[in-house]
Amino acid sequence: MIEPLALPLQTTVSALEAALLAFVLGCAVIAAVLRDVLGVIIAAAAYSLGVAVIWVVLRAPDVALTEAAVGAGVTTLLFLLTIAKTVNPTDERSLELPSVGSGAALLAFVLVLGSTVPAMPAIGGSPVTDGEVSQYYLEHAHEQTEVDNVVTAVLAAYRGFDTLGEAVVVFSAGVAVLVVLQREVFV
Amino acid sequence: MSDRETGTADVGSSAGGRGPYVESTIIMTTVRVVAPFVLTLGLFVMFHGADSAGGGFQGGAIAGSVVLMLAFAFGIGPVRDWIHPGILLGLMVAGVLTFVGVGALTLLLGGNFLEYGVIPIYHASAYSIELIELGIGAIVVSIITGLFFAIAGGMEGPGAEPKPAEEATVTEDEA
Repeated sequence: MIEPLALPLQTTVSALEAALLAFVLGCAVIAAVLRDVLGVIIAAAAYSLGVAVIWVVLRAPDVALTEAAVGAGVTTLLFLLTIAKTVNPTDERSLELPSVGSGAALLAFVLVLGSTVPAMPAIGGSPVTDGEVSQYYLEHAHEQTEVDNVVTAVLAAYRGFDTLGEAVVVFSAGVAVLVVLQREVFV
Repeated sequence: MSDRETGTADVGSSAGGRGPYVESTIIMTTVRVVAPFVLTLGLFVMFHGADSAGGGFQGGAIAGSVVLMLAFAFGIGPVRDWIHPGILLGLMVAGVLTFVGVGALTLLLGGNFLEYGVIPIYHASAYSIELIELGIGAIVVSIITGLFFAIAGGMEGPGAEPKPAEEATVTEDEA
């Protein structure tokens, strides 16, 4: 029933992955430099959708669903609501390029973050998929929790207390919004 | 796109006019066709999260986006009037209480917190996990729709004050 993760040890990037990464990167850059806020929101939604597809390619459908629903769907709608109060820039420029100083800071930030990439394990055969804990979950999740999706088994059973905390965090966010707005109901 | 341009013009000319909603046959027809399928997908992801990809968070977000879609297509005001104010708060609290309740039940039955096996029903663990996923889904649905309406209400600015009175009349009408 539970097949071990039989991903080949992957150190190169396939054409599909390269295309997806280029798409996501392009969307991110467009979202950063465009002046029209509606275009920025659309670019950000496309970015989230691209990331969701990347999660599917990396065989993480649970994360992909969350990214697509929250990142590309709900967040986009909330942003669309908020820009209704803004006005379009009147001048002709369509791009807002960063200044020299912020560009240099940006470059330094990218270099620092990029320097950590070689330290990541290759896809497949990493300590995560081959580790003792992961293998224990894969082997025992079905008999111990009676659910087939190991992600759900970890979230709701093995790490159930953590998930309760997360659910309460979402609940608290709603309560906090009501407190800040000094209202008793949402609608 | 035309949504926003008209909305901006409205805000510019008359402060807090009609807001960003523009009636569009294309959007309304699309949402009318798509919404039942999206809601079904959301419920499927929520109920079937134990055996396939998904779960309460994902299913709740998808199901919640149905309400957002309806609000975009048919106007925020009518959808807000259609939702009883108590429903969102009730869902929110019920979700947390479901989760805590299952944990408390396992404690009362002599097990550890959330040790589902001690509940004396058939496939206790699987059903408890499903129940918890539904609780999480209820929290996420209510918070997403709640945040949406809170932001939309904030957009009305000074006009937000008479709203509690409006709601009061609505609830009285329904009751």
